[in-house]
Amino acid sequence: MATLQLQNIEKSFGPTTVLKDVNLSIEDKEFVVFVGPSGCGKTTLLRIVAGLEIASEGSIIIDGKDVSDDHPIDRGISMVFQSYALYPHLSVFENIAFPLRVAKRPEEEIKDRVNKAAAILQLEERLNHKPGQLSGGQRQRVAIGRSIVRNPKVFLFDEPLSNLDAALRGDMRVELSKLHKSLDTTMIYVTHDQVEAMTMADRIVVLNGGVVEQCGTPMDLYLRPRNKFVAGFIGHPKMNFLPAIVSRVEDRMLHVKLANGGVMSMPVASEGVKAGDNVDIGIRPEHMQLDENGPVSMHVEVLERLGAHSIAYGKVEGDGAFCASLPGMAEIPEGTTIKLSIKPEDAYVFDERGVALQRLGALELA
Amino acid sequence: MMDRYSLPHKVFLYFCVVLFLGFILLPFFEMFMTSLRPLEHLFRSPYQFWSDDFSFKAYSQMWETVPMLPRYIANSMLISISVTALALAFVIPAAYAYARFDFKGKSLSLGIFLAVNMFSGAVLLIPLYKLLRNYGLLNTYFAMIVPGAAFLVPMGIWLLKSYLEKIPRELEDAAFMDGASRLYTLRRVVLPLAVPGLIVVGVAVFLSAYAQQFLFAITFNSVKEFMPLPAGILEFIGYQSVKWNQMMAASIVGILPVLVIFLFLQRYLVAGLTAGAIKE
Repeated sequence: MATLQLQNIEKSFGPTTVLKDVNLSIEDKEFVVFVGPSGCGKTTLLRIVAGLEIASEGSIIIDGKDVSDDHPIDRGISMVFQSYALYPHLSVFENIAFPLRVAKRPEEEIKDRVNKAAAILQLEERLNHKPGQLSGGQRQRVAIGRSIVRNPKVFLFDEPLSNLDAALRGDMRVELSKLHKSLDTTMIYVTHDQVEAMTMADRIVVLNGGVVEQCGTPMDLYLRPRNKFVAGFIGHPKMNFLPAIVSRVEDRMLHVKLANGGVMSMPVASEGVKAGDNVDIGIRPEHMQLDENGPVSMHVEVLERLGAHSIAYGKVEGDGAFCASLPGMAEIPEGTTIKLSIKPEDAYVFDERGVALQRLGALELA
Repeated sequence: MMDRYSLPHKVFLYFCVVLFLGFILLPFFEMFMTSLRPLEHLFRSPYQFWSDDFSFKAYSQMWETVPMLPRYIANSMLISISVTALALAFVIPAAYAYARFDFKGKSLSLGIFLAVNMFSGAVLLIPLYKLLRNYGLLNTYFAMIVPGAAFLVPMGIWLLKSYLEKIPRELEDAAFMDGASRLYTLRRVVLPLAVPGLIVVGVAVFLSAYAQQFLFAITFNSVKEFMPLPAGILEFIGYQSVKWNQMMAASIVGILPVLVIFLFLQRYLVAGLTAGAIKE
């Protein structure tokens, strides 16, 4: 049982402000992922929650108790580090036992709890090895073992998969999700990889420049990004942005003219937008279809065929880079120009400040 | 690996190595040869490099000529080991603090330490003498150990600091998260990982202490029983003759322990000096 609230967290190192007025409420047993580009303050925020850094302003509340000035142990928090931070001179057993040894637990209890943790993580065979003799995935599991052996209320993970190769990363993602279900505790996870965020999170917190841009479920962020940054960050390949000029505003419909002359109409709430305004049309690559009469014409430079779908990279007239993900093994010679269309309800519109207009046609999630 | 050197290159390289080693090692060789010769042969003219009356007699006679010799050797070891222990007791916490904490005057004090290293003990002998006399510490082991350690602490801090800086900070963060205190972390995490660095610093301090004890011994101490070997060896200079062969024999016996230590620890020394040079 652990809820966690961050209230008005600010952090500056000297004159540089790293975090600005971060407010967040995390439910019991929730898996929350902090995601953002490097330097956005996500790791700093995690270290503040951990107690490794002290916030310049604001407070951290765990289970209704202000723990801003408490030691990590008293917060009931444990952390898995990016580099795993295993003690190379100690065996796997001693690494996992470290927090218990610090707490001066009786030998019997230490043995019992380490063995239990090792069983959960399938490390029984490795207890006498040194970290140097383990594979990347096993080291990762030892690091997790060291954090679960204490039965903390909240787990923190700082980019734990970034040192693993792609295949192992996929496996560990599934393992961590399973672990979250079996341990049934609150977890906070930091990553710069939006795929990890989308696949594992109950809720994603998108950070940029020390500010929380948006916080919501993965599908919420995918379907209803609050602004251009979140829209561009969530989803892979990244969303395309086409500049356009508003030609006509209706109550529940916006008509625009693209820079290349194409016209599009989209069902969005259009309050505050008037004809002549500059807007950005956001189009996800996976929503593009080949269509001879489509409004977007794209010059294909590189085609990546992945079997299930093909990703075309290239340029649209006058507007720079563009990417389209097409179903199946599209037969498009590189160097040709294709015409693309999009269903009006799949498009996103961002006003001059980069704020998203509410989409009216997007499918609603239960 | 590709052999990048042509034959003339190699010949030149080996020539340089031999020249350098010869320069360094010939005195030791001559020392050894001298210890084997009977005394009268040392003054033979013309100089004869090889003779047929080599013997190890000097190695047994020296104990009779200078009966206190074992005591001097023991003193030498005692002083050097004490200096090393005392210096390390100050170096370890100081180097850790310099490696991990930010505080006012950090770089200034480090600079001062470096500057102190540039003064040899000789420059400070007279003020030190006065100081020790005022405190009534002349003619004690203390007079030879404490100044010796003090001069070596700055060097030790510099050496160990750079080693400790290479130990990842995340290890200490992790220990902190698990509730370990600073001292517990130092003892259980940092120091075990710093063993190669500690050996480097320990050996460097020990060797320097061994080398510098002569100066402190002859200025701050006149008690025979406390003399270390480099000072005690002067007793081979008699009223009528200097027993050079026995003196050389005693010197060799005196440096033998240091040599043995060095041989055992040299792989740590080399490892320590190159640590961090390559990505692990």
